[in-house]
Amino acid sequence: MKTRKVLAVISILMILSFVLSACAPTATEAPQATEEVVATEAPVETEAPVATEEVVATEAPTEEPTVAPTTRKGGWLDEIVFTAIADQEPAVSQIQAGAIDIYPVTVDDAQLFETVKNDPNLKYVNSYGSFNQLMFNTVACKDTSILNPFTNQKIREAMNWAIDREYISQEIMGGLSNPRYTLLTTTNPDYARYAPIVGQMISKYKYNFDKAKEVVDAEMVAMGAEMGADGKWQYKGKPVTIIGFIRTEDKRKQQGDYFANQLEQLGFTVDRQFKVRSEAAPIWQGDPYECKFTYYTAGWISTAIDRDEGDMFAQYNTGRIQDIPLFLEYKPSPEYDEVLTKLQNNVFTTLEERDELFAKAIPMSMEESWHGLMINDTASYSPMKKDLMVASDLAAAVAGTPLWPLTMRWADQEGGTVKIAQSGILVQPWNPIAGSNWTDDAMIQRATADSGAITDPYTGLSIPQRIEKAEVVAKEGLPIVKTLDWVDLKFEPEIKVPEDAWVDWDAANQKFITAKEKFPDGVTALTKSVVYYPSSLWETKWHDGNNISMGDFILHMILSFDTGKPESKIYDENAVPQVETFLQHFKGVKITSTDPLIIETYDDLWAIDAENIAGASTATWYPSDLGYVAAYGYGTAPWQGLVGAILAEENGELAFSEAKSIAEEVEYTSMIAGPSLEIQKKYIDQAAAESYIPYAPTMSEYVTKEEADTRYASLLDWYASKGHLWIGTGAYYVDQVFPVEGTVTLKHFADFPDMADRWSGFGEPKLVSASLDGPAIVKAGDEAVFDVAITFGEEPYPIEDLSSVTYWVTDATGALVTQGTAEAVEDGAYTVTLPADVTSKLASGANMLSVAVSSKVVSIPAFATFEFVSQ
Amino acid sequence: MAQASPSIPIGTGMEEVKKKTKAGTSTLARVGKYTGMRVLTLGITVVIGLYLTIVIANMGGYVDEIRRAQIREDVGARIVNNPTMRSLSAEEKKQMIAEMVAIEEKRYGMDQPFVVRSATYLSNAIQLNLGYALKMNSNSGSKQVRNILLERLPPTLLLFATADIVLFFIALFFALALSRQYGSIFDKILITLTPLSSAPGWFYGIFLILIFASVLKLLPFGGMVDAPPPKTPFLYFLSLLKHMALPVLALTLSQIFIQVFSWRTFFLIYSSEDYVDMAKAKGLTSRDIERRYILRPTLPTIITSFALLIIGVWTGAPILETIFSWPGLGRTFYQSIGQFDTPVIIGEAVIFSYLLAVTVFLLDIIYAIVDPRVKIGGESSSV
Repeated sequence: MKTRKVLAVISILMILSFVLSACAPTATEAPQATEEVVATEAPVETEAPVATEEVVATEAPTEEPTVAPTTRKGGWLDEIVFTAIADQEPAVSQIQAGAIDIYPVTVDDAQLFETVKNDPNLKYVNSYGSFNQLMFNTVACKDTSILNPFTNQKIREAMNWAIDREYISQEIMGGLSNPRYTLLTTTNPDYARYAPIVGQMISKYKYNFDKAKEVVDAEMVAMGAEMGADGKWQYKGKPVTIIGFIRTEDKRKQQGDYFANQLEQLGFTVDRQFKVRSEAAPIWQGDPYECKFTYYTAGWISTAIDRDEGDMFAQYNTGRIQDIPLFLEYKPSPEYDEVLTKLQNNVFTTLEERDELFAKAIPMSMEESWHGLMINDTASYSPMKKDLMVASDLAAAVAGTPLWPLTMRWADQEGGTVKIAQSGILVQPWNPIAGSNWTDDAMIQRATADSGAITDPYTGLSIPQRIEKAEVVAKEGLPIVKTLDWVDLKFEPEIKVPEDAWVDWDAANQKFITAKEKFPDGVTALTKSVVYYPSSLWETKWHDGNNISMGDFILHMILSFDTGKPESKIYDENAVPQVETFLQHFKGVKITSTDPLIIETYDDLWAIDAENIAGASTATWYPSDLGYVAAYGYGTAPWQGLVGAILAEENGELAFSEAKSIAEEVEYTSMIAGPSLEIQKKYIDQAAAESYIPYAPTMSEYVTKEEADTRYASLLDWYASKGHLWIGTGAYYVDQVFPVEGTVTLKHFADFPDMADRWSGFGEPKLVSASLDGPAIVKAGDEAVFDVAITFGEEPYPIEDLSSVTYWVTDATGALVTQGTAEAVEDGAYTVTLPADVTSKLASGANMLSVAVSSKVVSIPAFATFEFVSQ
Repeated sequence: MAQASPSIPIGTGMEEVKKKTKAGTSTLARVGKYTGMRVLTLGITVVIGLYLTIVIANMGGYVDEIRRAQIREDVGARIVNNPTMRSLSAEEKKQMIAEMVAIEEKRYGMDQPFVVRSATYLSNAIQLNLGYALKMNSNSGSKQVRNILLERLPPTLLLFATADIVLFFIALFFALALSRQYGSIFDKILITLTPLSSAPGWFYGIFLILIFASVLKLLPFGGMVDAPPPKTPFLYFLSLLKHMALPVLALTLSQIFIQVFSWRTFFLIYSSEDYVDMAKAKGLTSRDIERRYILRPTLPTIITSFALLIIGVWTGAPILETIFSWPGLGRTFYQSIGQFDTPVIIGEAVIFSYLLAVTVFLLDIIYAIVDPRVKIGGESSSV
């Protein structure tokens, strides 16, 4: 009997322990699908001058290698092994246990962050690629007995005071976040440029629940509602109910819950509806007049630093860009509409004009709050072993920068192996025309590819990789600037496209159409980029041993048009919109020299930075540019590498795009694995036997029969030895692929043209820190001088690396008193001088001096504030 | 002295033969009729089950709304995020979004009403024409549902069939042993531990990973083999064994106690039958009693349980596979449901339906073979 009781007690204890363990947060949850690169909208923001010191710094950044110059070419590592781990927590455990070395997925689990921070053997890099928003339904309900308070502009604006963004960032997001007030993204250059305006918005809209309540009380009464005895708003005898669509996949659950609590305190009845994306999307994107939701916790992702956020206002405050019924109902005031339209369409001729438009648009967007509220920017992190070094893009993290394979290394060591786990692997078939663009796949592809120009992971500016230099000629009146020396910028009143430039593609005859043929009366462009490659370009090797050649460039140009032309043998209706769009801005291309290679590209597409005009892949035409234009946006390939797939598609056996493969019921072309490889091999054999040159009417001017024979022979050798057709010019090549086991191994490519230490300077983002000091009391009418200390770590920040140090002063009410530019004293030291005539305007009481420091080498600005009392 | 052979009336033999022939004919007819009816009812059940799966997987057509919203969101984001679209006017952007949305909707077959599509899905499914997936692809990149499923089948079979076989034999051994030791300390321990089977395999998996991979570092966290996989078959096999150890143990632990308990209870019930007492009285050895009088009548139950366990392999175990990064069918199922990939969901369902139907049909026959009390198509089968 006794034994039975003891056993019963033990069994109960065991069950209880299991139940408790199961309830603990460490339990691994069900699998999550990998997210696609294209994801959603605009980028991240890291908000502003609230703290006394700098805004967000990337903690524990990668350290710059300190080793002597190397003789090694290509990547630092001998081998990179990719595997997959779906969840974040086991991934961190495996780094701790030494099973993997880095998890380059952007992790946002605050509890796990503590584990990473507290482990002396681990480190992390931050990225700022997502932000959260409270989106409002702004229309009056069909059912007139239902009152939607968010139709009222003043109530929408008042919601800014009703939420404490600091609380959300610190408590809900566990510190892995920065409060965000405006539409501008703090990691992007426009945020730094307009920091004083943003700063004023923060002062004006900081948490003030009483003010929110005051506005809501007044406006609700004005709208015909009345406060019931239970402290709840009533309208036509029914409680005013706000339906909150609260997404449950991440911290938006707690954010939506918090907002619901605040609304309840304001007297609203809140119906909290917790939903996943698939449940919420059809409703919030449906008819807003049905009033099935009142607010929605939206989240957005960006995959790159956006250097021009002029269209953010139109994107979030109008339905002009996204045809979603709710957005179509946004009705910005005529004044705001005019400003945001000009910014959207770049209707300005100088940067000063643009500045004025931003100065109007930012406060207007806050007042009208059509988009709802911006809440926070999420600071994700990628954990890794402490002695691993790698560059990381401020928006797109490690996986998103082409520099990761060129900078990843073990500290003070050449060679070795790194094991990388991603959230998925071989997510979709790889092909350069319309293959996988998933983050997990693109990361591996980046290691195998090279580019004409690459994007600086800290500023978003293009920098030359394979090209030598460039000239940009812009039409007079365009507000284009240049920052770096590798680009020359000129302006001309008119840019004529030469008659012999190629402007389009005749898919039936497989010949380029010249400007003279398509535009007999001539055609002009807004910009012209002249890209110069060095003579050594032709010594660049493909992984299969061939040198890069003109044929590789020409096929890239052809495929930028061909798949979207109905006369093409590989026509794909899915490519039409992209090709049509391309043709709307593309004005022509001309190869003015083949050795050295010089390419002129004429385009109506322009960016504020000349570097990014010249660095666009349409300007470089390099046969691998992930994610820019119609062709080769999804990988890299020599011309012969695509022949098997092209012939197979012509014969209805394969399709480059997933949509066509489904429609035609054929396999989706993969050059890395699967059944499509053998189909391609069949056609490569056939092509080799015939010395086939694709698109011969054009390509045969650049490719000889001998080159074709050599290339097919090496391609077949490559396939025989590696078992795949993925060939690039990158620092690593794909050595082995194990689809079911979920492993891909890359090996060091010894023939890569650059030395391994070429990009070592990108080991660490040179994030700015700023602090202010000065007199605590300023007497009206006296000059006051404040010191600004600007550092990178412990070192003074060089003046030549800073682009601006601006300041502004607000009074106790948050009103702007003055603003200006700080004066440089020496490296790391600036001063702000408030002259006597300014201090004389200060009312007695507390004032706030704020500075915003912008760097040329990193896009995240730093802020500092200092409170002083004026007498 | 020669013993006279018993005389058989002439007519009797013929009658016997006739009777036997008649009986044989009637048995054949009975079995044939039964088989026909069984196949028909199973076929109808499969068709109904499949159509319900199609309707449920598409939420009665509501998935179209979800997908439409997702397409609009994704396409819009793609346009907005694409720097090359910046030069387009608002109208041009809208036009482009509309075109791309239409293409995407067509790709998913949304240009046809759901009712029409559901009939096509059903017709293809019945013919085992699994077609092409809408979103998913196999690891090697094939869009064919057949390839997606077949690629994941070997790892699934390997893991779950191993675990099931291990579980079956261990459970059988312990159940028999404990049924002989009813009330012993081991029996009590088993009863005490039985509630542990309420925890699923993935739950044990977490603990096992924590102990053997994270702390002791004896076994891998997950995956099917080392990364990169060993090059020789022998080393590959060893690596496979090493990686299977924890998931097999997790699966076995999650089932073993309840399985032993239920079978042991079965054996106990059958061992108290009169005919067992009779066998004991006749002095049969306990081994004979166990084999012929206890095990045999319980075989239909055990075989049913084993057969369902084996076809259950087809569904895998999504969470356990995720925890151990095992490339099994369970994760494929989970992903296909999450992505509303109807062809894959139907592909999985149709194969499972056919497997289940065939198994049920075969079990009827097996019952008759292993249990003399069962008569195919008889009036009173006792199972």
